[in-house]
Amino acid sequence: MSLRRRTLLKVIVLGDSGVGKTSLMNQYVHKKFSQQYKATIGADFVTKELQIDDRLVTLQIWDTAGQERFQSLGVAFYRGADCCVLVYDVNVMKSFDTLENWHEEFLKQANPPDPRAFPFILLGNKIDIDGGNSRVVSEKKAKDWCASKGNIPYFETSAKEDYNVDAAFLCIAKAALANEHEQDIYFQGIPEAAVPENEQRGGCAC
Amino acid sequence: MIDDEREGEIRASIEPATEDAPSSPGSSGYAGEGGDSSSTTSGSHFEIEHEEIQEDTRIEIDRISISDSHTGWIPGKRHFDEDDASLSWRKRKKHFFVLSHSGKPIYSRYGDEHRLAGFSATLQAIISFVENGGDSVKLVRAGKHQVVFLVKGPIYLVCISSTEEPYESLRGQLELIYGQMLVILTKSINRCFEKNPKFDMTPLLGGTEIVFSSLIHSFSWNPATFLHAYTCLPLAYAARQAAGAILQDVADSGVLFAILMCRHKVISLFGAQKASLHPDDMLLLANFVMSSESFRTSESFSPICLPRYNPSAFLYAYIHYFDADTYLMLLTTSSDAFYHLKDCRIRVETVLLKSSVLSEVQRSLLNGGMHVEDVPPMPHSGSSHLGQQMLPSDSPDRFKEVNSGIGGPSGLWHFIYRSIYLDQYVSSEFSSPINTPQQQKRLYRAYQKLFASMHDKGIGPHRTQFRRDENYVLLCWVTQDFELYAAFDPLAEKDLAIKTCNHVCQWIKDVENEIFLLGASPFSW
Repeated sequence: MSLRRRTLLKVIVLGDSGVGKTSLMNQYVHKKFSQQYKATIGADFVTKELQIDDRLVTLQIWDTAGQERFQSLGVAFYRGADCCVLVYDVNVMKSFDTLENWHEEFLKQANPPDPRAFPFILLGNKIDIDGGNSRVVSEKKAKDWCASKGNIPYFETSAKEDYNVDAAFLCIAKAALANEHEQDIYFQGIPEAAVPENEQRGGCAC
Repeated sequence: MIDDEREGEIRASIEPATEDAPSSPGSSGYAGEGGDSSSTTSGSHFEIEHEEIQEDTRIEIDRISISDSHTGWIPGKRHFDEDDASLSWRKRKKHFFVLSHSGKPIYSRYGDEHRLAGFSATLQAIISFVENGGDSVKLVRAGKHQVVFLVKGPIYLVCISSTEEPYESLRGQLELIYGQMLVILTKSINRCFEKNPKFDMTPLLGGTEIVFSSLIHSFSWNPATFLHAYTCLPLAYAARQAAGAILQDVADSGVLFAILMCRHKVISLFGAQKASLHPDDMLLLANFVMSSESFRTSESFSPICLPRYNPSAFLYAYIHYFDADTYLMLLTTSSDAFYHLKDCRIRVETVLLKSSVLSEVQRSLLNGGMHVEDVPPMPHSGSSHLGQQMLPSDSPDRFKEVNSGIGGPSGLWHFIYRSIYLDQYVSSEFSSPINTPQQQKRLYRAYQKLFASMHDKGIGPHRTQFRRDENYVLLCWVTQDFELYAAFDPLAEKDLAIKTCNHVCQWIKDVENEIFLLGASPFSW
């Protein structure tokens, strides 16, 4: 606990299996990319520190498993999230179609006080594949979807080529910071010092 | 000094100034880290069987950067530049973590909380995963490590230890850490999490790191942490009476509790009618006051919560040090009682000076309490004092043999006596051969184990236990009135040891006026 104000943001990464969530993480945090696919089991946790204006921010990134069998971890994983990164593969239509479910599921489980204002971001990943020739989801289609969800910021990324990865995470961090309410409710919420049942006799003599 | 739980070979001797963010990203052990404004810290994997609590084989240099300015040195928080990727961090024998139910770190004994965010998330995932199955995780054993979990509403506490302490002891320590948090913030903190699961309570705990590190340190030297009893400063009966009378006097004027202490020992205390003070609350309160340097320099008035008394509300504590060791705490429910309490303190101070209680306190500090060398060879009745040391130090009668390496009769090295009715204990002074803090810690750990086994609900309760290993003979005797824990030379004979324990109990009876606060047990009103 240092004297300087530091902020920790819980970032949840969601999307179908194989869209490149873990690869984006590895590129963003470790600056590494591996062609090999390894399914995430449950969740991976990585942290990344960055400075935004004069604030030190730590991103606690929850890289979740895309497979359905891990969805039962929902509530516990989403609790207290500050922002949510949705990822799809621009070359796989189904991964785009299921965004609707991920979005809905997240809001249901995390249950943020103001769902419309909750910071999401959408990443269309793997734009490098085949020079873009195998892509099936157009940028316009993705942007339209984002607009329908309350203007979610959209980034096209390539974890492999490290394209737009830093920019996307910086964007989500800023959005989460902007959504952060100052936490001054604690001191208002403290009840007056009250002694239960055994109330002392008399007042003070002063 | 704060003790150091670690294996000998890695020795990080000098702390860099770390007032600001962790400044040495290179120390986490990951290759390829950039030195720019952002840095990687850790990656953890949620897979229990792969959870690497054991040290890994990564070759790593525990780099210590020595900076020119030491102004930022925060006492109590050590090894700030470590995280879960550091070999030195992994080798520490006892970790404590506090985190929120969303996995946000609140406190870590070692290392920087933010850099441990990934580790913290892993802990939450484990707890939540088990909770999802309608169960709760209490203990995980991984090799020689125990991982102990304690869930308190939205606050999760975890201890990872390779110290071989019993589960009950470690869990009790987590309870105390939670209690210490309540002392500072009350249970109202729960409502903040209800309103906002993202809630980050670290800013509210700003500056209290030393309170927690001091409490954790006391787990290895203060038997009150596992006996759930308090101890008194040995004092002539008349002096304690004089102090008690004036405390009662001020307690009658609308003070909830009036407590006079010397370091972690009670000189006297008094509570308003029916108000009872739990020994754990006293421990946490004394730890809070003693570890916070600012209380020493001026009279203070601070909101404070006694978790066993009422966990959801603040009391107000007036705190004043009469000298470097002796301090008065006056607790009230009224937030505007400062001037009244100040007047009370002046009255107390006048009486203490007039009856020279404060100088007797200083003398007691010098002389110490019960010494095993002074255990009477035969049980005897009649008037007795705490050996020679209660005589004035300039008395010609004062003569103490220094039998170094021998201890008391029959090889008695040390004892603790806990009075069940009084909620108080008395511990003999350490003497040869239990000289070093390491040896003392080891003995306390042995007592702790004994305590846990005597109170094991599954196989107990027991009345006596005699145990011999290469370090000690340990003897424990529990009756309706007291518990006695004694350590002897490992070669001590059983029947002689038992006889000596009887002598010790008789001796304690003979001097109980001086070592206990009688007739004022907070529970006996």
